[in-house]
Amino acid sequence: MDLRNFVFRRLIQVAVIFFIIQTSLFLLFRLAPGDPVERMVDPTMTPEDAQRLVEVLGLDQPLWTQYWVYLKNFFLGEFGTSFHYGQPVVEIIWEKLPNTILLFTTSTILAALAGIALGKIAAWRKGTRTDTVLTIGSLVTHTVFLPWLALLLIWVFGYRLGWFPINGMISADVWLDPSAGFCTKAADVGYHLVLPLATLFLVSFGSSLLVMRSSMLDTLKEDYILTARAKGLTDKAVRNHHAARNAALPVVTGVGLSLAFSINGGALTETVFTWPGIGRELVFAVSHSDYPLAQAAFLLIAIVVLLSNVVVDILYAYLDPRIRY
Amino acid sequence: MPFIKHAFPLKTASPLLMAALVVFLLTGPVAGISRVQAADHIKIGLLEEPKTLNYWLGSDTWSKKVLDLIYYPLYIHEPEKLELTPWLAESAPVFDEETLSYTVKLREAKWSDGTPFTAEDVAFTVNSIKGFKDSRRYDRWRFVKEVEVVDDRTVRFHLERPMAVFLKRSLTTRIIQKKQWLPIVEEAGKTDNPLAALRNHQIREPVGTGPFVLKEWKRGAYVFMETNEHFFGKGLEIAGRKLGPYIDGIIFRVFGTSDAAIMAINKGDIDMFWWRIQPGYIEELEGEAKIKLYTSERSALYYLGFNVRKAPFDNPAFRRAVSYLIDRNFLMLRVLQGYGTMMTSIVPPGNICWHCPDVPEYADKVLLRGERIRKAYEILKEAGFSWNTPPVNEKGELVKAKGFRLPDGSPMQDFYILTPPADYDPARSMAGIMIQEWLREVGLPASARPMAFGSLLDQVKGRHDFDMFVLGYGSLSLDPDYLRMFFHSENDKSGGWNMSGYSNPRYDELADESARTMDQDERRKLIYEMQRIIMQDVPYIPLYNPHLIEAVRTDRFEGWVPMLEGIGNTWSFCTLKPK
Amino acid sequence: MPIWTRGSDTESEAQDKVETEHRYDPSLIQRSQWFGQLMEGWAVFIKNPLGRVGIGFLVLFGLMALCSFIPPWIDPMYRPMTGVDPEIARSTGPSIKHWLGTDFMGRDIFSQLLAGARIAFLVGVSAAFMTVVLGTAVGMTAGYMGRFVDTFLMRVADIIMIMPTLLFVLMLAALFGRLNIWAIVLIIGLFRWPGVSRVIRSQTLSLKQRPFIEAARVAGAGHLRIIFRHIMPNVLPLSFLYMTFRVTSAITIEAALAFLGFGDPGTVSWGMMLQWVWKTGHMFQAPYWLLPPGICISLITLSFYMVGRAMDEVLDPRLRKEEEVL
Repeated sequence: MDLRNFVFRRLIQVAVIFFIIQTSLFLLFRLAPGDPVERMVDPTMTPEDAQRLVEVLGLDQPLWTQYWVYLKNFFLGEFGTSFHYGQPVVEIIWEKLPNTILLFTTSTILAALAGIALGKIAAWRKGTRTDTVLTIGSLVTHTVFLPWLALLLIWVFGYRLGWFPINGMISADVWLDPSAGFCTKAADVGYHLVLPLATLFLVSFGSSLLVMRSSMLDTLKEDYILTARAKGLTDKAVRNHHAARNAALPVVTGVGLSLAFSINGGALTETVFTWPGIGRELVFAVSHSDYPLAQAAFLLIAIVVLLSNVVVDILYAYLDPRIRY
Repeated sequence: MPFIKHAFPLKTASPLLMAALVVFLLTGPVAGISRVQAADHIKIGLLEEPKTLNYWLGSDTWSKKVLDLIYYPLYIHEPEKLELTPWLAESAPVFDEETLSYTVKLREAKWSDGTPFTAEDVAFTVNSIKGFKDSRRYDRWRFVKEVEVVDDRTVRFHLERPMAVFLKRSLTTRIIQKKQWLPIVEEAGKTDNPLAALRNHQIREPVGTGPFVLKEWKRGAYVFMETNEHFFGKGLEIAGRKLGPYIDGIIFRVFGTSDAAIMAINKGDIDMFWWRIQPGYIEELEGEAKIKLYTSERSALYYLGFNVRKAPFDNPAFRRAVSYLIDRNFLMLRVLQGYGTMMTSIVPPGNICWHCPDVPEYADKVLLRGERIRKAYEILKEAGFSWNTPPVNEKGELVKAKGFRLPDGSPMQDFYILTPPADYDPARSMAGIMIQEWLREVGLPASARPMAFGSLLDQVKGRHDFDMFVLGYGSLSLDPDYLRMFFHSENDKSGGWNMSGYSNPRYDELADESARTMDQDERRKLIYEMQRIIMQDVPYIPLYNPHLIEAVRTDRFEGWVPMLEGIGNTWSFCTLKPK
Repeated sequence: MPIWTRGSDTESEAQDKVETEHRYDPSLIQRSQWFGQLMEGWAVFIKNPLGRVGIGFLVLFGLMALCSFIPPWIDPMYRPMTGVDPEIARSTGPSIKHWLGTDFMGRDIFSQLLAGARIAFLVGVSAAFMTVVLGTAVGMTAGYMGRFVDTFLMRVADIIMIMPTLLFVLMLAALFGRLNIWAIVLIIGLFRWPGVSRVIRSQTLSLKQRPFIEAARVAGAGHLRIIFRHIMPNVLPLSFLYMTFRVTSAITIEAALAFLGFGDPGTVSWGMMLQWVWKTGHMFQAPYWLLPPGICISLITLSFYMVGRAMDEVLDPRLRKEEEVL
């Protein structure tokens, strides 16, 4: 079986899994007790008025019809209209997605880089105080309760010291100022990014560090490292060029595999810092029974997770010739 | 692991990381400092973002806050006595008993695009509501036969039957512009689901008659409104107040969490936080010299409901005993931290127009815990309930009660107090748990059960499958017609508002009459009587009514007008003055 | 290792396991030997600083959970959920009467913290138990039946494994409102089994090759009998111990749910305490209330995690040689 075949097979699997997730999501929402209209009803509405709201949202149709519409829409690239925004769900997602990507990719990349850099040092100086401090530090930050860490950062850096803004993504003052150019605005976003970024960074760099450290320890025992040393290369050269490069691979794949974990963290971070992203929107939609929005947001997350797993697998297969598919 | 050529560019990585951090750290504070000092734009903090500015869709608190500054009704409530005051109307409506019609003369006013406001707009609004059967407003106009446009500035409403709610509810419907909405309404009418099409229409620049117009809306961050230069009220005196607006505009900033908003008001980044402040922050804010807190009553109702279709909850004595057991004072002091009003009737005390001051009492300020238990014990014993071990022994001492029995001698089954989950309203789920404890003290096997809001309503309102529940309404209309909705026996059906299943022919009669009575004083007598009956039979036990505490800064603006439902009202925004 | 290799290519894994199996398979070695192995394992475990510190903290939390019964017994006002100080109706700082202060209603934070330890153990251990039961059942079935059943079950495991559990649980909690603590434990259990079933499956695979299974089959034992009488006793004890310390996520998820307001409002958990401090607006004023629950959640997660890592080394001798320091 060649690589192309393997990729093809994986993609088919992903499609099937995605279909299953999509259907079970739909069923979950429709079979849940109660209907989303209840929240919009007030004592001045008669039951008939309330029923009309149900019709407006298309929830009076038989389950099969609803499911059919849902599937059809999906293939047309539509996810229905949000109950609360009255706006196509796709538009809302497009609006929030860049914000999530900004926060998420920045923190993931920074955390992976920091993990690699520090894990390298820890492994190289194995047994020294540096190693101990780094390892324990990463264990602690890796297991810290994320929402609490976020609250703590808010308390210290937002409230006590007043260094950073603790919510949202931009400040109205800057954006309403006609003289503010692109750079000022970008800086404003960056300024708001600091605390949520720090939160996500702190909880995720630990695992990268630990993976890098043990992978580096493995690598250092390989023959070619001994060869490199025997050739008389400096320690630094051996460390950075020969050992670290190869040892970093598991970190990269690890990041891909632990994506689900980071997404949980991302949603929590967005909620606490009210970062206007997909995660916060999902939590909101779920708690306000905005079915179309919640479904679409969750599907988006599912597809990202599934695809990233495929990508990791393929990458791995491509990079490591030992692996047979 | 073998040697792999495609390796990670480690060398470039570290400097990149450093550079990124440096950029953030350096540029950040600079951006924060360079603030615009827009002199007379008042900055108001919102907790959540408005979801939409579509008149037909926007029913959430946040959308309404903005929409209510754009669209206005013919009459609004004045702040002191909550009486109706002409707004877009010029004078009080003229009632003609013979033809059952109201004639309203309109003011000379303009829409924010400069076109005149006419009777056509009023007729268009009402006809659209009736035509689309808009769920949220249809009930107010159901009984209106026709809207007659007499001339540009006179409109006449023909009623099918006398309805007391016409004045306070129908005439306070906000009016939309025919010019802007006619094409949208026509377009929506052609679709399969007209109301859905209307509600989902994206409106970018709503044209209104209010003091402010939408200037810019940056999703997720702020809504910027400027003064409407065509606002009719500028310089007019209405209800003894000379209207402005005297400010240049409003910037609504969305915060998402209260802590952020509180910090912003402390620092002076916003002039007002338009949301109720949790008790935890109050102490801190009280200490600030430049911050003033306003405490207002709310038109809200938080209550415990019984399923009176079911024994023993059908027994008024049982319900009265429970009323004695519930320490509303405790709920007020502990759960609400003292920032609330005890509810003694279904109509909140802040609604001075309709709240009945003399209803049967359950000794709220007098009784201690032990006395409450004794009182409840007496009532229950008298009604034929019994215990294996009663809560009060022969010597009159309190003991742990066991084995509560119904009058027919059978042991009482476990029953549940349904509450919303903590995320929806922590106070309500907390109240449910406290009530559970109090009931257990006399041996009633109660358990509080928090559940998702949707399933809770499904069980209580849809299927009537429950024992007790704790629910509430955050904003009840000022008109007390809900009394009729909640307890009239004809509303005891699946999905109907009489969730308790209360049925009392005398009450039904009073309620029907109150709906017909057009004279306010006459109607008030009926409404009072209805409240007395309910508090005698207690199908609902009103629990508490949280205060609305809002914070404003005093250094830039002054002239907030306190009113039921808080200072964020039309009167404030029209009379606020920069310092 | 990427997930697909776990599903399809298990030879090397199976070989690794054979070695391990050989050392610990209780049915193959005598009881005294088995006990000796356990003691040896314990010796390795306790020599590991991570394991020592982790166990130390866990004992501490265990003591807290036990002690949680004491304050309510002293005075009803120390009942964590419903007891309030008659004289205090607001949040106050630490005092002699209330070591960590009181919350917004005048409830004692210290007794809440103790009760929280009980809930954390309850959630952690029972979710772990559920996970192990489910995971073992699935893993054994997959490993024993092989072929289509195996592929199918492992694919399902893949899906569940990569899904963001918290968000899914959040959705279920919001939709199907019965939010008591057991329902939450149940849901968490339903989502965490794939990890266990992986391990169990590969153990089963290697056991299947053993002569005594073949012998049982020849003797006419049915599938169920083989699974329950011959395979289960061999895979269960080890995995049970191992997985118990792997389910720290249950505690975190419960705490996160409670923090977001989807927890069981009738239960005092650390996540709930954080939610109260956050939602009632005491975050800035009451560090005595903000800090303890967060520290506890983080620390208990950390100690379970450390014990889990130390356990890895006991179970996998290769690691032992490499990771001498930690």
